[in-house]
Amino acid sequence: MLLERLEASRLELLGRLSYTAGDLAQRARRRLTSQQKTQLMVLTPDFTARPVISFQHVWKRYPTGTEALRDVNLVVPEGDFVFLVGPSGAGKSTLVRLLIREEKPTKGKIFVEGVELGRMKRRQLPFYRRKVGLVFQDFKLLPNLTIYENVAFALRVHGQPDAFIRTRVAEALDTVGLSGKELTYPANLSGGEQQRVAIARALVHAPSMIIADEPTGNLDPATAWEIMQLFMRINARGATVVMATHNREIVDLLRRRVVAIDAGQIARDDRSGRYHDDSSKPQIRAQ
Amino acid sequence: MTILRNLRFALNSAWQSFWRNLAVSLAAVVSITLILILAGVNLLVGHAFSQVLDGFREKVSEMSINVADDTPLTSVYAFQQQLQGDPRVATVRFVTKEEALAEFVRDPNNAVLSQQIQGNPLDAKLEVRVRSLSDVAAVDSMARQWPGVDPTDPTNYQGEFVTRMLQLSQWLGFAGIGLMTILVIVSIVIVMNTIRTAVYHRRKEIEVMKLVGATEWFVRGPFVLEGIMTGVIAAAIALSLLVIAYPPVVSRFSADITFIPLTYDPTFISSLARDLLVGGALLGALGSYIGVRRFVRL
Ligand SMILES: Nc1ncnc2c1ncn2[C@@H]1O[C@H](COP(=O)(O)OP(=O)(O)OP(=O)(O)O)[C@@H](O)[C@H]1O
Ligand SMILES: [Mg+2]
Repeated sequence: MLLERLEASRLELLGRLSYTAGDLAQRARRRLTSQQKTQLMVLTPDFTARPVISFQHVWKRYPTGTEALRDVNLVVPEGDFVFLVGPSGAGKSTLVRLLIREEKPTKGKIFVEGVELGRMKRRQLPFYRRKVGLVFQDFKLLPNLTIYENVAFALRVHGQPDAFIRTRVAEALDTVGLSGKELTYPANLSGGEQQRVAIARALVHAPSMIIADEPTGNLDPATAWEIMQLFMRINARGATVVMATHNREIVDLLRRRVVAIDAGQIARDDRSGRYHDDSSKPQIRAQ
Repeated sequence: MTILRNLRFALNSAWQSFWRNLAVSLAAVVSITLILILAGVNLLVGHAFSQVLDGFREKVSEMSINVADDTPLTSVYAFQQQLQGDPRVATVRFVTKEEALAEFVRDPNNAVLSQQIQGNPLDAKLEVRVRSLSDVAAVDSMARQWPGVDPTDPTNYQGEFVTRMLQLSQWLGFAGIGLMTILVIVSIVIVMNTIRTAVYHRRKEIEVMKLVGATEWFVRGPFVLEGIMTGVIAAAIALSLLVIAYPPVVSRFSADITFIPLTYDPTFISSLARDLLVGGALLGALGSYIGVRRFVRL
């Protein structure tokens, strides 16, 4: 009992400390030349930027008894681009649901920007979600609203004034290349265009973090590639991106950070990885 | 400002939802209207009854103590003084035998009887007005113990009748409260189910709202407003029907049953309007609040 308490406070302190340390490191980093920065990134990638997301010994067991995540430890620094890969049922969506606090971990702690999600009050949850942009495989657009209103929806929910909404929606639609489609309805758009609308909605409130669960799952390869480039551009502007995906070609092409989950555990975490681990166990490759 | 924008959003949503599920919305309005009519009739009957009861109270709280013919006047005055000093008593008036007879003869109802009267069979009396109906019995028993009272016919107080009336009004009060409770529960359940339908039609919107960071009240707002709209529309219809029907029913009633002094009371309309409209709004708000509770939770 006492040990558990001690362990709990140790973890929490760690979460807070690493955030503060990251903050200091970030400030120090601002004084470096871009060449020094690149060197630093290569040398110590995880400790130079602020850890925006930090999972500490996170376990998730659903009421059905399924152990979806086992002892997951994961630190995502600010501005990172992370692919979550792994076979169906590995626990990728579960990780995403924990991250937006649709679910709570059974054990362990999740920190986002230094705040422990488990400690967050229900009252504060909406304001946390406003810092995040979400994109899903099934787009989740509202069929009875125009494209403009779909993108504006997030800002309306936040109670923003009309003038502000107009400029922001125009910018977001411009970013995803859908200016001119404002008055169209989702049913009249292709899958790729619908996903662009969903991305515009996820962007429109300028979130610091984009979380996507198989955003290209319903799209053909060419369209998937376009959508992925969109995410890369958003990431280049500074947003942290966490994306669960099954898209092997794109993951292998982009060579970004890959976190592989298998049976609820982190099996691999490569700085610039591939979809499959090709070094140690080539026999798992399912091609 | 944000609050106003959120309110505008909620009103828009509520209005659209009301028309989108028009059949369900109208069914709810009709049911709640019927319930509110019942509630209104209950209020009106309650009011009429209390009006009638007030009339009886007025009479009952006025009591006459009959004085025996051989009681000396000084003793009557002393007792009158004692009554006047009693905090339960409002006024005391002494009526002599002659005055009593004069009053009796003056009453047109007694025209035939007063022709046949020989001498003066009436007692002198003390007319006492008691402040509270519940004290009448005590004042009556005090009067009966006074030695100067007429032993054959001490007072005109009818204890049996008064207790009956009090009991009846109490029972009617309970029945009214019981009926109201049932009506309230039924209408809340109706609104709850109507709102569930609206929630079902907008489940996708609710899901997206929560994901993009809507507060619970933002999600709840449109439904609560839709509930209030349903309640207020129903209350307005019920109220109009009751206001139209109230005067003819009263005049019909008082023509048929003359011994109950029922009168049309226009001042009651405003309190009825307030009760129905506020009640309808509250029922609608409460029903929808309960109806969406489960779906709103983040
Ligand atoms: N709400 C739930 N209730 C019970 N079990 C669940 C629930 N959601 C997921 N699971 C189970 O948890 C495990 C992980 O599921 P999850 O959806 O996270 O996998 P995934 O990696 O996203 O798979 P996919 O690639 O198919 O989307 C699975 O065994 C799944 O059946
Ligand atoms: Mg999934």
